[in-house]
Amino acid sequence: MHLFSGSVGGRRGRAKTTILLLMSVVFFMLFAGNAAAQKRFSKSYPAGGESVRLELVNKSGTVTVIGWNRPEINITATLEAPAATVVPQNLSGKIVVNLVRDNAGRGEIGNVNFTIRVPYYTAVDIETVIGNLNVSNISSTLVRAHVSSEGDITLTNISAAGVSADNITGDILFDGELRPGGYYRLQSMKGTISIRIPIPSSFKLVATAPSTRNINLGAFDGGSMRPLGNGRRIVGQSGDGSASLQVTNQQGSIQFIRR
Amino acid sequence: MDSDLDEVRAQDIRDHLAACEPCAKVCEELAAIVDVCRTEPADEIVPPNSQALWCRINNIIESEIKPEPPLPQIEEPRRRIWRFSLPQLAAAVVFIALVSSLLTVLAIRNYRTPPADDYLSRSPESQTLAERLMAKVGLVDTPQKAREKRLAEQQAVIDYWNKRVQERRSQWDARMREAFDRNVNIIDQSVNDYTVILQQNPDDEITGEMLDSALDEKTSLLRQFAEL
Repeated sequence: MHLFSGSVGGRRGRAKTTILLLMSVVFFMLFAGNAAAQKRFSKSYPAGGESVRLELVNKSGTVTVIGWNRPEINITATLEAPAATVVPQNLSGKIVVNLVRDNAGRGEIGNVNFTIRVPYYTAVDIETVIGNLNVSNISSTLVRAHVSSEGDITLTNISAAGVSADNITGDILFDGELRPGGYYRLQSMKGTISIRIPIPSSFKLVATAPSTRNINLGAFDGGSMRPLGNGRRIVGQSGDGSASLQVTNQQGSIQFIRR
Repeated sequence: MDSDLDEVRAQDIRDHLAACEPCAKVCEELAAIVDVCRTEPADEIVPPNSQALWCRINNIIESEIKPEPPLPQIEEPRRRIWRFSLPQLAAAVVFIALVSSLLTVLAIRNYRTPPADDYLSRSPESQTLAERLMAKVGLVDTPQKAREKRLAEQQAVIDYWNKRVQERRSQWDARMREAFDRNVNIIDQSVNDYTVILQQNPDDEITGEMLDSALDEKTSLLRQFAEL
């Protein structure tokens, strides 16, 4: 019984070992295949001056820009096959990466996913043809994010004098504060636009959602806010109205969230 | 008479004087004068009365000169300002002050009009008085005309970029082509909706503004894909 049991146990053990080995081989092959299909790009630039600017034009893929407390810009990118050419330029404090220009006439190129760390005071101007754009922890003069076709835009912990975010299909989230005298423009054709700002915030609002008429002001409702055009637009002022906030969503909804 | 001529010439003249009475008479008179001058001393010749002679000459000349017609009197231009009476001047000053005040108020009101929507997307109801006046005299287009003009311009730009896109489209990968088509359809859907609404209600400001914005989005999309 014991021997029999031992023999059965030995067979089971061998089977387990074989399965584990086979799984390891499959996992290794998958991982190796994936690694072979991707390239990695990494480069750092000093950013000592006060006026630092990042300009990035991507073709497809996700771009993530994160502000940090170091006078340095660090660009890392994973390039899917067929790998795109990435040639950043350092123009005296302005870092320019333009994949559309650098890969013009190449036809198909794979996704390029960027993660870029910049000094928190950097002016950020990024755009892509397809893909998501994420910007966080920036306190500067400008944050601009533009998606030519489809992709979500997520702006988190932003304090900038000028913010512009627009896409055709996809959601837009602005999470941050509105500076006095600042100008904020969020625009989408189809998606949901969310604005997460603290109370109190001072701004003049023009919010338009002509198709859905779904404009939820949340805690900012009331006061001088008034609907126009049978609820397709809401205009009004919060606080002393020192900032200007313009939100347009042609086929989607708009919502305000207390920060 | 002075025997200065040669014989042949003198004979010719004598023959002529014999045949021509007027010349002979002149010759006799001259001969008489010459004889007097030769025979009488110079101081005995009576001098002519030069003063009387000049008086006569002067009278003849004056009688021959016709008197000129009198020149029309040119009136000195009068200064028009002196034609106004004091009450008239006061009324003019008040009128100018009123008109300039009115224009100033209009200008300030126009300046303060919230720029939430531009002139293209405005309806006739929301036009300011100054704009209406200017539109009436043809200085500016009405909002509807301005919108039509703008739409025609936008359509021309869209046609241009659309042509460029069709040339480049074959070089895109399948994913790009699909994304482009999907997003153009989304924009076109909005454009069609807005066009229908504006046909029913041409004065709908918000729809006019949204149509303008949607066409701008389409232009931007076409331009960016044309550059791929």
